[in-house]
Amino acid sequence: MPADLSADSVLSLILEQQIIESAEPVSVTTDLFALGLDSMAMMQLLLHIEDRFGIAIAPGEMTRDRFATAAALAEFLAGKQT
Amino acid sequence: MSPHDEYEVTVVGGGSAGVAAALAASRQGARTLLIERQQLLGGMGTNAMVHTFCGLFHPDVSQGPQWLNPGIPTELGTALMQRGGMEEPDLMGRVYVLRHRPADLASLTAELCAAEPHLTVLTGAEVTALSPGWTITLNDRLIHSRAVIDTTGDALLARLLGHSHWDLATSARLYRPAYVWSFQGLSAILDEPLRLHVAALIVRAVKAGALPAAALGTTLRASPTRGEVFVSTDLEAGGDHWDPLDLDQRLHLESEGRALAQAVWDFLRSSHPSFTTITPPVLPVHAGIRESARWRGDYVLSADDLIRSRRFEDEAALAGWPLEMRETARGPRFRYFDQPEPAGIPASCLRARSLPGMFFAGRCLSCDHEALASVRVMGTCLATGQAAGQMAAAFRP
Ligand SMILES: Cc1cc2nc3c(=O)[nH]c(=O)nc-3n(C[C@H](O)[C@H](O)[C@H](O)COP(=O)(O)OP(=O)(O)OC[C@H]3O[C@@H](n4cnc5c(N)ncnc54)[C@H](O)[C@@H]3O)c2cc1C
Repeated sequence: MPADLSADSVLSLILEQQIIESAEPVSVTTDLFALGLDSMAMMQLLLHIEDRFGIAIAPGEMTRDRFATAAALAEFLAGKQT
Repeated sequence: MSPHDEYEVTVVGGGSAGVAAALAASRQGARTLLIERQQLLGGMGTNAMVHTFCGLFHPDVSQGPQWLNPGIPTELGTALMQRGGMEEPDLMGRVYVLRHRPADLASLTAELCAAEPHLTVLTGAEVTALSPGWTITLNDRLIHSRAVIDTTGDALLARLLGHSHWDLATSARLYRPAYVWSFQGLSAILDEPLRLHVAALIVRAVKAGALPAAALGTTLRASPTRGEVFVSTDLEAGGDHWDPLDLDQRLHLESEGRALAQAVWDFLRSSHPSFTTITPPVLPVHAGIRESARWRGDYVLSADDLIRSRRFEDEAALAGWPLEMRETARGPRFRYFDQPEPAGIPASCLRARSLPGMFFAGRCLSCDHEALASVRVMGTCLATGQAAGQMAAAFRP
């Protein structure tokens, strides 16, 4: 059963899986790239999204905007789920 | 050559630290020998195809790029920029880095060494034994030297002396090794969208079983030459059992790296139109080892010293690179200094009181595992090497 898909659940996945780490608090609107989201961390993120939410992301769908914040990513993923 | 050659300073290991040490010692007038087991100088920055100098610039980037350590780090950095046709270093988030071509580092270090009248360079020669005093055994001869500098990266001379002067982190914590290779002929600019696209392609291929899971540690970076790309894959290397000093594990790492390079190359070429034109992989001489044995000197530099930008009276060099921890092959964890101010590296990290005339620098200087995450970068190795070279040249028994 895929997990509930909200901005908060995407953010907790990112933090739980240590996709990024930050000394300052991270919110659903924090710029993830500014916190060090790079292509290697992105690969881990894609794997965990697939595991937790059951959503596979196609290479052509990879844009900076869709991954810039937990909120943007949740919205994109929710759109794919339906 | 006579079977017993005499030198005032002998430097073992011709990487960033060793080249800087040999240049610094010989420029003080000391009759200096530099011994390197490979044929090219430059260490990891040449033979493992590490292609970016970190730690060359002041951590406060708000003033633009400011050289952090005067002397050889600034001289070599400036010369590398000229060879690479670079006007400025790259600002990567909160730090400046200098990209270079491994072949440029090899030729530049050789030229700088050849220009020093007091310096002899012996490449293709491996140190195999050491006795106090100091007598060094090479493949085919003995060397006597007043002072010796260990810049092997592996604290080889400490290990040759016995058990009491070196440390090695536990296998699970050791920073992971990586395999770096390159190709030319990419027909697009390697920008962020392309990098993200390739990341997603690799994930899909791993999921489909078309690439091994180890491919997930891969990063692509553009060289200073248009169309040339460095591919770097961090490897778990046996995880909890990794031992960088074990021959069999090193052999296994090399073959895993080569196989992975071939697989990733095949995959890229057939999976994206911008990669159909790429040339076959150019392989490194050997895999990149981030961490092995370190010396235990009079002072052990700690992560706390760095984070708090601590300064010392007997300061030998400055560190400015954040702690870049790579205990897994899933990407680095950065810890920045509390303030954008450099930290000092004391001379007591480059020598041991009980071993007069012995000095060490580079990634085998005396520091703890966390501090190594910062001071192992090549810009800092140039600075600690330079300091050790000056100390060794001034040493009198
Ligand atoms: C995959 C990887 C990526 C990295 N990325 C970066 C980066 O982006 N930027 C950065 O600044 N740093 C980076 N580093 C770190 C940096 O490359 C090394 O820490 C640095 O090169 C250490 O310099 P060194 O002179 O102490 O040792 P090395 O560069 O390891 O040189 C040691 C030399 O000693 C020689 N030697 C060893 N034993 C003997 C012997 N018995 N006889 C004769 N010669 C011997 C070796 O052949 C070698 O040439 C990276 C390292 C790795 C592995």
